[in-house]
Amino acid sequence: MNKDIYRNIAAVTAVFIITLSVMLITNYFQVRGITPLQTEVIETLKELNDTNADNPVLQEQIRQLDLLARRAYFIQEDHLKSGVYILLGMVLIFVLSLRFYFKGEMHIPDKEIDPIDEWMLKSKSRRYLTWGTLGLVAVALLFVFLSSPLLKSSENKEETEETLIADSGEAVPVEETATTEAMAEPQPAATETNGNTPTEVTETSVTTETPAIAEVPQPAVSKVTSNAFRGNQSNGISSAKGIPTQWDLAGGSNILWKKPIPRAGHNSPVINGNRVFFTGGDKEARELFCYDLTSGEQLWSMQATNIPGSPATPPAVTEDTGLASSSVATDGKHVCAIFATGDLLCADMEGKRVWAKNLGVPDNHYGFVSSLLIYGNTLYVQYDNNKDPQLFALDVATGNTRWVKKRTGKICWSSPIIAYVNQKPQLVLMGNPQMTAYDPTSGEQLWQVDCMGGEVCSCPASADGVIYGANEYAKLVAINGTDGQVLWESTEYLPEVSSPVATKKHLYLATSYGVLASYDAKSGALVKEHELNEEFYSSPMIVEGKLYLFSNNGKLFIFSTDDAFTLINSFETGERTLATPAFTDGKIVVRTEESIYCVAAK
Amino acid sequence: MRKLKTIAALVGCWGIAQAQNRFPKPDFESGYQYPDLQYAVPNETLWVILDLLLLVALMGIVTWALYKRHTRGPIFWVSLISVGYFGFFREGCVCSIGSIQNIALALVDDSYHLPLTVLLFFLLPILFAFLFGRVFCAGVCPFGALQELVNVKNYRISEAITAALKVIPWLYLIFAVLYAVTRSQFIICQFDPFIGIFRLGGDMGLILFGALLLVMSIFTGRPFCRFLCPYGALLSLFSSVSIWKIKLTRKSCINCELCHNSCPVDAIRPPYANKLKESRSAGVRRLLAYFVVLPVMIIAGALLMRMASPNLSRAHKDVRLYDQVIQHEAQPEEELSLELEAFYGQGRSVEEITALYEAKVTEYRFWCTIAGALMGLVIGLALIRLSVKRSRKQYEINHANCVACGQCFNYCPQNKQMNESHKPSES
Amino acid sequence: MEEKHNQPKHSPIRRREFFKLCGSVVAGGSILAVAGGLAPKLGGKEEDLFWQIDPTVCTQCGRCETHCVLPVSAVKCIHAHRVCGYCDLCGGYYRTNVKELNTAAENLMCPTGAIQRKFVEDPYFEYMIDEELCNGCGKCVKGCSSFGNGSLYLQIKQDLCLNCNECKISTVCPSGAITRVPYATAYKLKE
Repeated sequence: MNKDIYRNIAAVTAVFIITLSVMLITNYFQVRGITPLQTEVIETLKELNDTNADNPVLQEQIRQLDLLARRAYFIQEDHLKSGVYILLGMVLIFVLSLRFYFKGEMHIPDKEIDPIDEWMLKSKSRRYLTWGTLGLVAVALLFVFLSSPLLKSSENKEETEETLIADSGEAVPVEETATTEAMAEPQPAATETNGNTPTEVTETSVTTETPAIAEVPQPAVSKVTSNAFRGNQSNGISSAKGIPTQWDLAGGSNILWKKPIPRAGHNSPVINGNRVFFTGGDKEARELFCYDLTSGEQLWSMQATNIPGSPATPPAVTEDTGLASSSVATDGKHVCAIFATGDLLCADMEGKRVWAKNLGVPDNHYGFVSSLLIYGNTLYVQYDNNKDPQLFALDVATGNTRWVKKRTGKICWSSPIIAYVNQKPQLVLMGNPQMTAYDPTSGEQLWQVDCMGGEVCSCPASADGVIYGANEYAKLVAINGTDGQVLWESTEYLPEVSSPVATKKHLYLATSYGVLASYDAKSGALVKEHELNEEFYSSPMIVEGKLYLFSNNGKLFIFSTDDAFTLINSFETGERTLATPAFTDGKIVVRTEESIYCVAAK
Repeated sequence: MRKLKTIAALVGCWGIAQAQNRFPKPDFESGYQYPDLQYAVPNETLWVILDLLLLVALMGIVTWALYKRHTRGPIFWVSLISVGYFGFFREGCVCSIGSIQNIALALVDDSYHLPLTVLLFFLLPILFAFLFGRVFCAGVCPFGALQELVNVKNYRISEAITAALKVIPWLYLIFAVLYAVTRSQFIICQFDPFIGIFRLGGDMGLILFGALLLVMSIFTGRPFCRFLCPYGALLSLFSSVSIWKIKLTRKSCINCELCHNSCPVDAIRPPYANKLKESRSAGVRRLLAYFVVLPVMIIAGALLMRMASPNLSRAHKDVRLYDQVIQHEAQPEEELSLELEAFYGQGRSVEEITALYEAKVTEYRFWCTIAGALMGLVIGLALIRLSVKRSRKQYEINHANCVACGQCFNYCPQNKQMNESHKPSES
Repeated sequence: MEEKHNQPKHSPIRRREFFKLCGSVVAGGSILAVAGGLAPKLGGKEEDLFWQIDPTVCTQCGRCETHCVLPVSAVKCIHAHRVCGYCDLCGGYYRTNVKELNTAAENLMCPTGAIQRKFVEDPYFEYMIDEELCNGCGKCVKGCSSFGNGSLYLQIKQDLCLNCNECKISTVCPSGAITRVPYATAYKLKE
């Protein structure tokens, strides 16, 4: 009779325990993915609120949801605690009643399931053990075999092939930087002795890419980007095709659009996909602009405001430097801009701010001008000011510091480039007096050469594993990128603001006093010079085997980059041009002192 | 002058920027005082002493109950105290089972600093096992005690299976030590099934596993102790050669079979007469064959584990990080994981992690080889043990398996008489 | 051994006992060996017993909130007032793109509202952490260390920490910031 009571209690508690645990478990799986404090709804609403102007309805909605979320979080926490205690109590009652129920029966011996003969048991057990061990060994062998290096390498091969194919279809910007070098070579130069496998891979990918472009039913958006000052790697070379060689700015022939500059600045435009980025800055505000490449409409703009550490009044800069001389950099997902106030901001392609920070107000008597550069997902900022010169490597997505390198020497106004040496990227910086190459990922210094002087302003150039640096009042130097050995030097013509550009065979540089000179890349001998009687601040760019160069007065020169180095065309555009133009397939975007315009052959 | 000021300000700004001080310390004019916050400091020493005292006291009580009183009564209360104190109150983290890993690490790594408590929690139960048998398992270990307390009915599992499953704790022990000496993980702590129950929360999978074990232990005795516990495996070694041994009864056995039925861990072996048809020489030959196979198994185990060592080494953080870094270097455009973000954020170089990786892989190759050899040894010895015949005339306790719970005492009719007759004749 | 040789046939029991004795000696010896071998490692410096985060290494990955064995993590935000700039626009208190500096939900960083702000004097504000509400997510810490002085940081509270044999968070910490510290320095504090 008593036993019946215990049995009933046990049964009831068992049902209760099962339902409660099922509830707790389902609840666990339900809330596992969504923590109430970080629901996507609220987050997206908050982001919407960030981009929108004051919207009281939206804000009220956020507040309500936030309150709900917090309440849900704390109530859930509370319920879980009490639920577990109830469960524990129930289990206790269950076990106790079960014990009482079986109390009398405990003495009744359980049915013997094993045969009495112990030896048979042992034999059986041995068999189980042997089979179990063999099974274990088989599983282990399979495991070892599946992950053996042999299998892995073949897997990897397949994978790389796949990515290469995918890349040729989509042309991811970074992957393209590897191929642009190969593509940008003006002539199919004689194959080098060190034709190891990586070169072959890049070459094959290039060859696969060309038909891929031709086959695609003429995409509206060009795949050739100009992600930073002077092209993707800041070395003055673009792989764009179908570039117009003649236009008339005043008459409008071959001019796709022309817009006045909303804010002053000497920085150069940057192109990614259908977007053109540039900045402007004055006493009132520093602003990043995004224009549509085909229409020239302003898509969005963003002011560098609300940045902690930003100075209330911008630092004093000279008139011809301005507050926005640094060009922006993009990786196709983010665009980063820096101003002479030290404000660094990063936006996504739609004009939403991703992060912003102040790197410290630069102590720079002309004004901070170094342009940004993105390689992979790292943003590089050359911060060579009077005090505490540094090189920052920041995470593009978050703005967190990857690494910081202390720089030595004096202030300089140059910008970093990415140079490829034996298929490996190097981050090369000018300095005063040193030129330095770093590993872009680790920041480790690869080599350093003391060769510069004066007020270092122009950027390095590189081709075929050789790095070139030149500056007025110093010299022109060619450095072997593998070991940092100086190959040759020259002092005949030196640039002041404009940066040199190199091909496999030649190095070109434009001086402030109007000479465009070409040097032999191997020997350093002066090949040819052109007296142009112009002033050059803008840097020469090499596209489709032609060198494009704007003079300060707005005269465009186009030269061939073969041995003859002849003038192909030159004409006045009529507007003073200090920035370097950006190239993409069939289009050039030029920023002048008054306007920004896009050239496209009609 | 103004310029000088700005320069000075800039210098200051940059100077502290290194220490992340972007903003200067405010000069309060209103006489604001910094709040004085105190953070609770652990009162650990008190609890540690109590833990140790209780450990010794409880093991002493169990020993006393087993050897002097010959009854289970006190052991039940010890179990309750242990589950309450070591389990729910101290939340299961004063644990002899886990201490294996600390000891193993301390033995190979001189830089590792071993706390005294951990050493004592490791050694004291072993010492007691060496003297009196597994009195720690009886009820002092909260895991065993919990399983014992919820046990209601004792359904048997075929001894052929249980004998084979006895190998698992040893393999578990070898893996735990392997991962501990390579500083990879403390797997015993990570896959502890009951800790979630004692803490009333934690990883859902482990809680479910613990609950499953508990439900199983309602119907069969101590599944965790028998088929998983690595510390139990270690204790069984010492218990089998212990100085004093637990006796079923002080009187002569009447072969009534009741104790055999009562034992939750199948540690009481029935009488067995060796009356097999097989000739003695055949048995000896089989045994010799196993002894010949033993070194082969050891070598095979060592080789196999050596081959598997690169895979096993992925349990270590640095090895996983190295893989990620290499993958990232190959495809830099992919988004950074948190690990990589920290890696690059700390300015560590690929060379550094490669060096760490290579050192770790070499270390793993060495320890995996040893672990594999031990595994071969364990399985080989288990096979040998299973091919030895031994005749018994009475019910006997297998001291390696016996967890000293004292269940059998109450079932033995001889003991009952003794208890009822108020034991005057004893001394 | 001699014993065994002399009477090999008719004393399996004695042989067994001899093996047992050997076993006992080995077992007892190994206990002494382990104890003796490890004894020197006990002395000397103080025992490292308590888990702590090194705030200079921490990257605020957010795993402290989710990986602690406790339902609500033992890791809490701690505020070093002596490092704090007492800013009005606090990177730990307000979201990055805050428009108005008020306590509306869309402006605040902390998901549980655990940061309390008090006006001290123009232009300074004091920030305090309500530990009951804090869940150790580290959002404010990230904000403070990217835009401010880094006075907010995460730390393991010793009164909440269970002091596991191996801290679960330390096994997943990407920067390896969690280590054991001795009793004397039970808290790794900034300031």
